[in-house]
Amino acid sequence: MNWAAFLSNYIFAFIVLNVMLGLMAYMTYFERKVLAAMQDRVGPKRTGPFGLLQPIADGIKLLAKEDIVPKNADRLVFLVAPLLSFVLAPLSAAVIPFGGTVTVFGQEVNLYVADINVAVLYVLALGGMGVYGIILGGYASANRYSLLGALRSAAQVISYEIVLGLSLVGVFILSGTLSLVQILEAQQQPLSFGGVQVPNWYILSQPLGFVLFLIAAVAETNRAPFDLPEAESELIGGFHTEYSGFRFSFFFLAEYINMIAVSLLAATLFLGGTDGPIADGVWWLAAKAALFLFFYIWLRTTLPRFRYDQLMGLAWKVLLPLALINIALTGLIRLWGLGLL
Amino acid sequence: MSELTATHFLTLSAALFIIGMLGVLIRRNVLVIFMCIELMFNAVNVSFIGFAWEQHSLVGQTFALFIIAVAAAEAVVGLGIIMALSRRLDTVDIDQVHELRE
Amino acid sequence: MSAEVLVFDILGAIAVLAAAGVVLARNPVHSALALVVSFVNVAAIYVILRAEFLAAAQIIVYTGAILVLVLFVIMLVDPDNLPEFHGGRPVQRLLALILGLALLGEVMAAILTRTIVGQPGPWSPQAVAAVGGNTQALGRVLYSGYVLPIQVTAVLLLAATIGALVLARPDTPRVRALVRDTATISLAHPRGSEMANGVEPALPALAAGQLKLEAGERTLVMAKSGDDFLDQPVWGERHQS
Repeated sequence: MNWAAFLSNYIFAFIVLNVMLGLMAYMTYFERKVLAAMQDRVGPKRTGPFGLLQPIADGIKLLAKEDIVPKNADRLVFLVAPLLSFVLAPLSAAVIPFGGTVTVFGQEVNLYVADINVAVLYVLALGGMGVYGIILGGYASANRYSLLGALRSAAQVISYEIVLGLSLVGVFILSGTLSLVQILEAQQQPLSFGGVQVPNWYILSQPLGFVLFLIAAVAETNRAPFDLPEAESELIGGFHTEYSGFRFSFFFLAEYINMIAVSLLAATLFLGGTDGPIADGVWWLAAKAALFLFFYIWLRTTLPRFRYDQLMGLAWKVLLPLALINIALTGLIRLWGLGLL
Repeated sequence: MSELTATHFLTLSAALFIIGMLGVLIRRNVLVIFMCIELMFNAVNVSFIGFAWEQHSLVGQTFALFIIAVAAAEAVVGLGIIMALSRRLDTVDIDQVHELRE
Repeated sequence: MSAEVLVFDILGAIAVLAAAGVVLARNPVHSALALVVSFVNVAAIYVILRAEFLAAAQIIVYTGAILVLVLFVIMLVDPDNLPEFHGGRPVQRLLALILGLALLGEVMAAILTRTIVGQPGPWSPQAVAAVGGNTQALGRVLYSGYVLPIQVTAVLLLAATIGALVLARPDTPRVRALVRDTATISLAHPRGSEMANGVEPALPALAAGQLKLEAGERTLVMAKSGDDFLDQPVWGERHQS
């Protein structure tokens, strides 16, 4: 057993996890500031310089609240549900490549936690498991509205999960692999467009897939405009109505970590990840992910909420056929490119 | 046993299958019986994939993939039947489902 | 004791304990959760057995779809009327236990006393790595020799979907005899309804067997004040021309 490699990998994974958690906290701050700017106000500015200590203040407030468990609630499931959501969320970052391989103190360190053969399927599987946090949260609350909100949210998530998966099949056809490290390498090849050399970013060869992925990702993470199941004016709080204090914070923060993970995934799959014009590195990945996060917040400010039947109709009647057409077209073009048509 | 051999995964498969079988025989809730049937499917899958690993052949994995697909189809139809049944009889007790018998 | 065997033993033990939890739990939601745990552990075991694609497929299809469906159905069932609360059948349980133990004994005897014979196949780990991994190798095997089963599975899934749609369809409501509508509606008319004055309304005659007026026969009038549309007949009023 190569203990040095194992140890370096472990330390890298530790760093990634802590950076994700720190980002998650400051994502809430980022969102509030951007929301405020778009709504012509200022946002948090009193807690610390420029309001930078706001997430910490929020955290302390939520942790100090009374822990209420409803009397008829199924206690074990009530306790487990938010933990499930929160634990599954950052696991997607385990397969995102933050770079190639660097040599630190004479030891080769991979700038990704794991390079598995089915990396994108792994991320989709985690998304599928995330539904359980929602369903169990709604069920365990012993509250009819929570259960309804949970079932609606679960139905929404599993419908959009299909669109998410199918929209990525085009990328798999073009790159021939499911591993994110290899997809990143495939995007670094040049692609000639007439006389122009551009990197082979899949947003150029898969525009429809990219749009479908974005829409499905916003719906998967239960963000506006697809946030009916947890909207305050519709179902009070949906599946997290009965949760307060730090349990609620688990659900709430899990949503933000999911957003960050999906943004990183989109940046890696469609925008070339760490690839950039001047110097390849993790800063480009961060910039692209920040672009997606900004887009998420922008959507939240701008668009009104979808009604539930509109939401489901969109997934099954519009996005799913489009995803299938995308797969067929991509397959045909690839066969034509390979000369087999 | 310091190496992973066939005995390991066959024992696991047998244990899961027998527990599933016990569940189908003992429980009265239709949904729990259904879940125990899925457990038995899973046990068989473990067996297939274990042999595929041991014999360096991918046929076992292909079989397991088809079993997963067929189990999905069966789950859909089975749950539809269970829902229709529970709406009719207003219960999920399998001992109450004896209308076909005189 | 290599690390592989240790991890396999731990995962296998948890999977078996979770399976026992499925059978023993009173609340079906707890059974479903125990089954999720069991499936996830089995998926991890698939990864040890170098079937990564199957592991991901197991989690996406089994836990992510089938068990979610089962949980949906469980939650739509009345939790106060579960069969478990109506008393068990001890003879049945004892017999089942004896049968289970007998079967376990037989299978273990078979496993421990025999060895596997036969030629190993072509897909050794080096061959799998040479084509790019488990997914690529599985793709080659599936789409070269098993294309027909794939098509048949697709038709099977289609049949299952249609079957589920038919089974879950709500009962069609019977067509009720519709109340006959009047000829016009006039809002905020100062004369009000003639019914209060004891005038019998004259409804338009319907053909035999006709349940309601055709769409073109009714006129809808929105009056903003009582002075508009005074030439339209009020509900029940006869023409005065």
